[in-house]
Amino acid sequence: MPNDFLHSFQGEWLKRKRSLASWIVVIGGFFTPTIIIIARLVNYEQLAALYAKADFWTSLWQSSWESMAIFLLPLGVVLSTSLITQIEYKNNSWKQLHTVPLNFSTIFFTKLLVIIAMLLQFFILFNIGIYLSAVIPWLLGSGVAYPAATFPYKYFLQENALYFIDCLPILALQYLLGLQYKNFLVPVGTGFILWVGALAALSWKYGYLVPYTYCMYNHLKTAAPGKAAIPALNIHYMAVFYFILFTAASFIIYITKKEKG
Amino acid sequence: MYCLETNNLTHRFTKENTVLKNISLRVTEGSIYGFLGPNGAGKTTTLRLILGLLKKQEGDILFFGKPFERNRVAILKNIGSLIESPSLYGHLTASENLSLLQKIYRCPRQRIKEVLKLVGLPHTGNKKASQFSLGMKQRLSIAVALLHNPSLLILDEPTNGLDPNGMIEIRELLIKLNQQSGITVIISSHMLAEIEKLVTHVGVINNGQMLFQGPLNELKSKQQESVSVVLETSDLEKTVHIIAGHDIKTTQEDGKLHMPFVSKKVIATLAQQLVNNNIELYEISVVKNDLETIFINLISK
Repeated sequence: MPNDFLHSFQGEWLKRKRSLASWIVVIGGFFTPTIIIIARLVNYEQLAALYAKADFWTSLWQSSWESMAIFLLPLGVVLSTSLITQIEYKNNSWKQLHTVPLNFSTIFFTKLLVIIAMLLQFFILFNIGIYLSAVIPWLLGSGVAYPAATFPYKYFLQENALYFIDCLPILALQYLLGLQYKNFLVPVGTGFILWVGALAALSWKYGYLVPYTYCMYNHLKTAAPGKAAIPALNIHYMAVFYFILFTAASFIIYITKKEKG
Repeated sequence: MYCLETNNLTHRFTKENTVLKNISLRVTEGSIYGFLGPNGAGKTTTLRLILGLLKKQEGDILFFGKPFERNRVAILKNIGSLIESPSLYGHLTASENLSLLQKIYRCPRQRIKEVLKLVGLPHTGNKKASQFSLGMKQRLSIAVALLHNPSLLILDEPTNGLDPNGMIEIRELLIKLNQQSGITVIISSHMLAEIEKLVTHVGVINNGQMLFQGPLNELKSKQQESVSVVLETSDLEKTVHIIAGHDIKTTQEDGKLHMPFVSKKVIATLAQQLVNNNIELYEISVVKNDLETIFINLISK
């Protein structure tokens, strides 16, 4: 059984090769850091003061996550999750997949795990990108020294974990929609509408009920607390709750489907 | 033992729309079973049901004597299938398409090269499956079905999109697999002529009902039974009277008389009698129905 899972995972991992979803992960991971590098090189005269600051790394982290938490990460998860599930519909291959000697639960969870692994891959690439956005101006000899502040490993790890947890509800709901609908526009369109809804709900006192808000709240709670009605309760628990709820619903719908390809 | 056995398989898409009625397939081990029927007869629905792609509503499905539902994973390890159009990942190469299944089936990596060679696709290199012609996709799908050396191969219209040469190649390949490796093959088609030279057993389905099932020879013996004689004379009334004297019933169609073939001697006697009675004999011929006609007669009943 664990072997089945491992081999199924290897097969599913191979399917994402050369897919648009895998490119989104790579491009998404380096997009914001590239913009930051360009901006810093253009405004190189301000770099010396910036690199000398004690909170250099945390302020870099905040500016890197600004567009990522609000815009790029939620929409990237919507798009890449929908694209991964779409691979089977697009290639008319559900029927092939459902006649291989694997339990339906193995198929369901390995596919989900591949998407989670891709999200993890994105986080790794994004962190590498953030680090490179700090060191590339220094390596290019733009007259700045290596950042004086100590690299806050713990802070980075903690924040990574929180953002990761916060986007799991989006991933789970998009997975549910992606498995259900052959038409790619349904999961993507629904995801987009929910994202717009989440933006609108940020200043509402019950905004935390919208499962697409958590990455935004996590960023805004420290970066711009006045811009949102930051909930008093722990949003990360809410994210875990929604993730479990959507995954369970998705699994039940998938397993009880009368037509499997 | 039957390799595949279904008992009273019935399926409805809606309450009013019963697409399969009491289908009882019997596929003997080592046979090549041709599952025949016109488009919309219920072939694909039957095959999807037996592979678990459709939820079973009524009846039983047994593979190698074991119920499918309770032994799904173990049974699927021994089955290779191709249902309708090819199921290939267009962004991957032929070898990658096989590689992801090779991991699941846990068969030797060497097998990928072997099956690609077997279906005539050894040199596709880095070409993505989406760039393949329909014939190449069909071949690759057969390679996918053969990858894990299954003991039962279920192919739904596998020669769709193949040119005549390709059809012959696939036919020869299936015969070779059946004879050399003992693989049982179930192949569906809407054309008897296409699989007549391939199958050992036949099942004919129409409107969701089995009309015939048995060895191909049994269907061929129906061919013998259906030989008839056609007569055209100057006086049909008198001719009917003379034939009736031999205790033979006739039917009239387009100004010609049709009667069952009895023997050469009776035909000769009849001809003699007609001439002796001054009846001009314009045509006397034996009509032998081919298998295709028998198939069409079966499905148009």
